Amino acid sequence: MDDLTEMLKGTLEGCVLQIIGSEETYGYAITRRLNELGFTDVVEGTIYTILVRLERNGLVQVTKRPSERGPARKFFALNDAGRKELAAFWTKWEYLSSRIDNLKEGGQ
Amino acid sequence: MGIQDIIEGKKQWRAHVARVKALPPDYQIVYKEIQKYLFKVGPIDLPDGNLLSGIIDFFEEGVAAGKGVLELIGNDVAAFADDLVKDSRTNADIYQESISGKPNTAEK
Amino acid sequence: MSFWETLTGSDLTREWKAFEARAEALPADYRAAWEQIKVKVSPHSDFTGRNLMPILDGVLGLLEETAADGQSVQDVLGDDVDGFCAALTGGEEARDYRDRWREQLNRNVAKKLGQLGG
Repeated sequence: MDDLTEMLKGTLEGCVLQIIGSEETYGYAITRRLNELGFTDVVEGTIYTILVRLERNGLVQVTKRPSERGPARKFFALNDAGRKELAAFWTKWEYLSSRIDNLKEGGQ
Repeated sequence: MGIQDIIEGKKQWRAHVARVKALPPDYQIVYKEIQKYLFKVGPIDLPDGNLLSGIIDFFEEGVAAGKGVLELIGNDVAAFADDLVKDSRTNADIYQESISGKPNTAEK
Repeated sequence: MSFWETLTGSDLTREWKAFEARAEALPADYRAAWEQIKVKVSPHSDFTGRNLMPILDGVLGLLEETAADGQSVQDVLGDDVDGFCAALTGGEEARDYRDRWREQLNRNVAKKLGQLGG
C-alpha cells in the first residue's frame, strides 16, 4: 500500500518493540519482517533511528555479536522498561483503534 | 577538559575520520552531509561520539550487504538525521532553559 | 563588568583559557567565525558562563573536527553565522534555520550523488 509513511510514523516504534519482544533480533531482520508484513516502504535507516532511540531511552538490552560476513551486529532484546513500554503501546493502540472503529460505524 | 582528554579525543576523532574515508563514495557524501547538519542542530550527546560512530557502524553493515546508501536510509536523508536526534536535547534547549532561569544540572 | 569579564574572572578561567588555546590552533577563517560566534551568543544578563560552556565546547569541537577534515568554514556554517547562532541559542528564528538546513542537506546529497554519476 502506498503512502502509509505518515500514518505509520507514530506506531512504528510499537511495532519494533513487539518484534524485539518476541525474540532477540537485529535491525535488518526487523526491517525484513516489517516489509514481509506489507510495510514495503520501511527502510533499514528508519528502523536504525528507532533502535538508537530505544537504546538511548533504556528500553532495550544490546549485545554485539559477530556476523558471518561484514562487521559485528547489534542484537536487541527488551528489558523490563521496554516490556512496560510495549504494554503501554498496545493499551494506547486498542484505545485508538476502538474509538476510530466506533466513529466509522457511527456509534458513540 | 584536561590535555589528556583533548589528545584522546583527537586520536579517537582521527580513527573515526579514517573509518569515514574507508566508506564507498556515496556513503561518504551522505555521512558528511549528515554530520554537518547534526553539528549545526547541536544535540547535546553529539560530543561523546557514540551517535556518529553508531552511524558508521550502521553504514558499514549496509556496505557489507552490498546496498547503496539511499537504499539503506531512504531518499529523505534529512528525515533520517532528524529521527536520530528526535528526543535529544539540543544546545538551544540548554540555552533557553538557562535564560528562563529553570534549574540546570550544571549549577547543582 | 561585561559578560566576558565576568566569565574570565570567575572559576571558569581555566576552562576558558583552554577554549581560547584550542581556538588559536584553528585556521584563520575558522578563528574569525569563532570570534563572531562568541559575540553573537554573548548572553542575557542573567545568564551564567557555566551554562554556556558545554555549548561553546560543542561549537569548538565542530570547528576543530571539520577543520581537521580539510573543509572550509563556509562548507560548515554556510555564509550564515547568524543563523548558526540563532539555532545554537534556540531563538525565534531557530526553526526557520533548521528547515533551511534540512533542505540544504537533501539538496547537497542529491547534487553530490548526481555528480558521482551513479
